[in-house]
Amino acid sequence: MAQEYLLLDIILWFSIYLIVALSLNIEYGYAGIPNFGRALAVLIGAIAVGGVVNRILILLLGIEGRGIIETSGTLKSTVNAMISQNPLLGLGILVLCLLIAALMGAVTGALFILPSAKLRQDYLAITLLAISEVLFLVSNYNTSIIGGYYGVSIPDVLAFVPGERRFLAFALLGVGIALLVYLFVERLLTSPYGRLLKAMRENEDVVKAFGKNILVLRIKTVALGSAIAAIAGAFYSLYSVNVIASTFFRVDWTFFPFLMLLLGGMGNNRGVVLGVFSFVIVKVLLIVYKFEIKSTLHLPFEATWLEYILFGVLMLLILYYKPDGLIKEKPVTMTPPIKHALKQKAKETSGR
Amino acid sequence: MEYGNSQPTPSSGASALVTQRLTKNFGGLRALDGVSIDVAKGSITLVIGPNGSGKTTLINVVTGFLSADDGKVVFEGRDITNKPPHEIFQMGVVRTFQNPHPLKKLAVLENLLIAEPGYGESVLQSFTRRWVDKEERLVKKAFDILNFLGIEHLWDEQAMNLSGGQLRLLEIGRALMCDAKLIIMDEPIAGVAPALSHSILKKLKELTKSGISFLIVEHRLDIILDYVDWVYVMANGRIVAEGKSDEILKNPKVIEVYLGAQG
Ligand SMILES: Nc1ncnc2c1ncn2[C@@H]1O[C@H](COP(=O)(O)OP(=O)(O)O)[C@@H](O)[C@H]1O
Ligand SMILES: [Mg+2]
Repeated sequence: MAQEYLLLDIILWFSIYLIVALSLNIEYGYAGIPNFGRALAVLIGAIAVGGVVNRILILLLGIEGRGIIETSGTLKSTVNAMISQNPLLGLGILVLCLLIAALMGAVTGALFILPSAKLRQDYLAITLLAISEVLFLVSNYNTSIIGGYYGVSIPDVLAFVPGERRFLAFALLGVGIALLVYLFVERLLTSPYGRLLKAMRENEDVVKAFGKNILVLRIKTVALGSAIAAIAGAFYSLYSVNVIASTFFRVDWTFFPFLMLLLGGMGNNRGVVLGVFSFVIVKVLLIVYKFEIKSTLHLPFEATWLEYILFGVLMLLILYYKPDGLIKEKPVTMTPPIKHALKQKAKETSGR
Repeated sequence: MEYGNSQPTPSSGASALVTQRLTKNFGGLRALDGVSIDVAKGSITLVIGPNGSGKTTLINVVTGFLSADDGKVVFEGRDITNKPPHEIFQMGVVRTFQNPHPLKKLAVLENLLIAEPGYGESVLQSFTRRWVDKEERLVKKAFDILNFLGIEHLWDEQAMNLSGGQLRLLEIGRALMCDAKLIIMDEPIAGVAPALSHSILKKLKELTKSGISFLIVEHRLDIILDYVDWVYVMANGRIVAEGKSDEILKNPKVIEVYLGAQG
């Protein structure tokens, strides 16, 4: 039973982190935009669920109460009862949440990247981190958005699934969403658009010299990436059946995704999958065994710090010894159109 | 975003590119000091001058990579002064860089494919697969150019593995990919073998017949002079002489500038 739980935990975190890491791969791995504010887009996804969809449902159902925190509690019990009778309602709310999250993510992302018009890479990274921190603090301390540090409750969109199957259902749902995101991102990035993003990463002057508007490309790219990251935030909130701003801390949602990206290999999605998978395995095992590890090794610090120290060291080791990650980025040379052109060429030369 | 056909073509004898008293300062240094040149349509116009005379700066200002402090840049009758580089490209002006700018992790072929105007900018098109047909045409064209430059066998090599000379060819190839109206090249044949240099210049000469104009900065006068129609000589940010290629080397000012720089 405990092992089954562990497995589901790994699957769930793998799905959520895969979505976030893929979104970062679009922006940083491909386009070279150092988005140190990834956590913000994830938080926006949570706000879409706890702050926006909650309010929409409260209005629609005419639920009364004082403040968003209390009213959300009533909303949750009312809607859960409805969903357990009517699965379609649950699935409808799920889709609504993901759509609104993606939309809000895209808009925030587009606005968020505007300072890049004037800033160099390193300054941009710091600026994005700062903006992200500010919004994190605002939503943590202002209790009227998503309940601040108290948080808000959220209806369980899978309330129709019997309790003991709920974890399994969410894990499967997570894998499904992650798979769709993977297919979307893969198709996007193996197209000329992905090639152009890589070109922008390698040398902006070339891209400018060949007529592409760098700022527009950046805006589109960060809007897309943020929309995807927001989907992860929304899904995570739906699974947790509550939203608390403090869970969207930069270490978990910016630093760790960067680590997974660097570990697996930037600029290729298979590398990202491998990076996320290895990371999640280590993370979940650490959560389970950190106290044993501490006492066995007689570590002179709290077990909680083990994770931070270990991942920090891992990051340094990767940057130093394996800057290309586990799977190295390869040039894209065997797409159907290129193969076709090669075949035709071979025919022409043999025909001569 | 249509490329290059933004204006009716002027009749022959017209100018492709005109600069009027262009001035550019770097702090206290005046890198361009009232530079006026005229690139006739369908010509190969050469700019020579010792190192540091301002040739690359001239290219950067004309193509929008640097802003002009004073003066004007006119392309096919339209004022393009201080327009952003991508807009200048969209009007039909492409440039190469003096030190090659490869997209290092991309394959040689991919380095050429990004040159296509407007190509790859649309997110929606990535999903419609409408790009596949276009890609096939572009790949074919890219292979032809690589073949001509003699680096076809390197098509799937990452650009970072190319030698200095091969990178220069890649730089030229990319400029030839997009059917620009004005091609500006900064020392295109430096380090390229003489035989290949001649065939490249012959190719450029051929392209002028279809109305394409060239503005070229180059030091290797022994190779290039036979191909060019008009020569400007720069020194200290100014045009100090101009003339036909067979006369320019006899100009005492030119001899002074070059000997002065060498001696
Ligand atoms: N970005 C820059 N910042 C400061 N000075 C520059 C810059 N670019 C060029 N210069 C200076 O301007 C002068 C002209 O340089 P450049 O145009 O590169 O000459 P050329 O291409 O003829 O060798 C040189 O003195 C050079 O040092
Ligand atoms: Mg120069």
